[in-house]
Amino acid sequence: MNDQAAQPLLSVRNVSKSFGGVQALRDGSFDLHRGEVLAIVGSNGAGKSTLIKVVAGAHVPDGGRIVIDGKEVPRAEHSVSHMQERGIEVVYQDLALVPNMTAPYNLFLGRIPRKLGIFVDERKMRSKTREVLAQLNVTTVQDLSKPISSMSGGQQQSIAIGRAIAWGSDIVILDEPTAALGPNETAEVERLVEDVRERHGTSFILISHNLDQVRRLADRIVVTHHGVTSREFRRDEITSDRLVKAITLGE
Amino acid sequence: MTETAASRPLLTPERVEMLRDFVPFIAISLVILMFWAISGDRFMSVRNWTFIAQQTPVLMLLAFAQLMVVTTGSIDISIGSNLAFSAFLGALGMLWFGDAGLILGVLAGGLVGMFNGLIISLLKIPSFVTTLAMLIIVRAVVIIVSDGTAIYITDGSVSGGTNISSVAAPWLLSMGKFPAIFILAAVVALFTWVFYERTVFGQQLRAVGGNEKVLRLVGINVTVFKIKVFAAAGLMVGLAACVNLARAGAATPQAGLMIELDAIAAVALGGTPLTGGYGSVVKTIIGALTLTIVRNGLTIAGVPPSWSQVALGILLIAAIAISLNRSKVDVVK
Repeated sequence: MNDQAAQPLLSVRNVSKSFGGVQALRDGSFDLHRGEVLAIVGSNGAGKSTLIKVVAGAHVPDGGRIVIDGKEVPRAEHSVSHMQERGIEVVYQDLALVPNMTAPYNLFLGRIPRKLGIFVDERKMRSKTREVLAQLNVTTVQDLSKPISSMSGGQQQSIAIGRAIAWGSDIVILDEPTAALGPNETAEVERLVEDVRERHGTSFILISHNLDQVRRLADRIVVTHHGVTSREFRRDEITSDRLVKAITLGE
Repeated sequence: MTETAASRPLLTPERVEMLRDFVPFIAISLVILMFWAISGDRFMSVRNWTFIAQQTPVLMLLAFAQLMVVTTGSIDISIGSNLAFSAFLGALGMLWFGDAGLILGVLAGGLVGMFNGLIISLLKIPSFVTTLAMLIIVRAVVIIVSDGTAIYITDGSVSGGTNISSVAAPWLLSMGKFPAIFILAAVVALFTWVFYERTVFGQQLRAVGGNEKVLRLVGINVTVFKIKVFAAAGLMVGLAACVNLARAGAATPQAGLMIELDAIAAVALGGTPLTGGYGSVVKTIIGALTLTIVRNGLTIAGVPPSWSQVALGILLIAAIAISLNRSKVDVVK
């Protein structure tokens, strides 16, 4: 446990979840503090994805508690929209973009601004998109009328991250943000994360298989093993050896 | 532009892409030129084009209904039966409540559409199967309700025998003629364009066709949305049924047989992939017009009806082979 005096922004306690008799997550617990990057690592099937989906509201946990800003999330409010209202956004591994739609549409997904109640406010969408891209220092996205499937992987990634930060969210969950990207684009995404954290004080939860990336970005690392969050490291006590041992052996 | 094809290919990928966008327009131009060349003034006459302007609207409205559904990646093959059902209820409505009873026809169409949507969304049965079943059921219901007889719309001057149902509504019959039918079609087309291209609902049609899972992930209620889509398409079919009632002057149990296939063909001729995610109202209008013109032109040229059906089928395959952008379609099934 951390001894910080400030109460954590997000506190996950003993969360469990099973799917049709298979217990994907037995006991997930961690704290996330304001402005910190917390990495969750573990081998495939260790429960990382289930854990973050519970936090994001995509799964309702079987047991345990989630406390945000000192307030426990009631059972009925374990949904994506309720978690969004509480400032939690997710950048999914497959980016969760609608491929045939434009960058502005994807940025505003689920929040399309209206004119006269029924019309799409295209102008507002475009100007906000430019604003967000400028915030992210992304200059490569020029044509906002093209479907997003015609853009590069890095550009799509920046739209997905832009969607997560555009609405002033406090917590952004990054699920394998660079698994599908090349080295240049990976560096670009890492720069984005550092930048957003510095400028907006956003907290990140990072799920990654790339241990070098984890060591570059994370302040703390939580290791999941067989559905349990078994170990926790601070940045200065991490060596690759200890991390690999924790991931593979649980200790 | 004067360079030879060898030094610089005329069909660069960008140009092919641009060309694809124009296929419906090129196709209709070629079709018009061809029939003009074959039949001359018999095709290119005010009289014939007036006829085409009267003939296209019903198909165009049905194609609009189909376009909405197809854009979401579903299909509605029940619209022919729905047309007969809605027209019959519209005529019944007029028998019971007078002129305003025609609205019952539009509402009936919406009801059938909503029923489609409910079955598809709540029972999770694919739209093709659901609407195939509804195609059969609704047609049967029309035959049962009508007892196999028609309701006629008359101009009031003739009165049929005592056991023939008829409604005197000269205004409706004149709605079925040029120019009223043309103006009505233009107004509906304009509304549909605004609805499809500019509203949040229209945009969501394309998004659902693109990646339904993502919309669910961000908390959009796709289930309810799909019910609305099928209901909206049904309302459009109901409107088409009223127009058809005006054109045909009767609600018959056989109305709209096989017309669902024409509506799908019109949408496809308009370059809309049946896999969803993309679509165009303007090109769907062109598609409906092309279909009508080809049928009309072949008749004038003296081609027997069965052969003109063969020609239409070939045209459909050719148009889609050229216009379908395979890079936008992952899997062809």
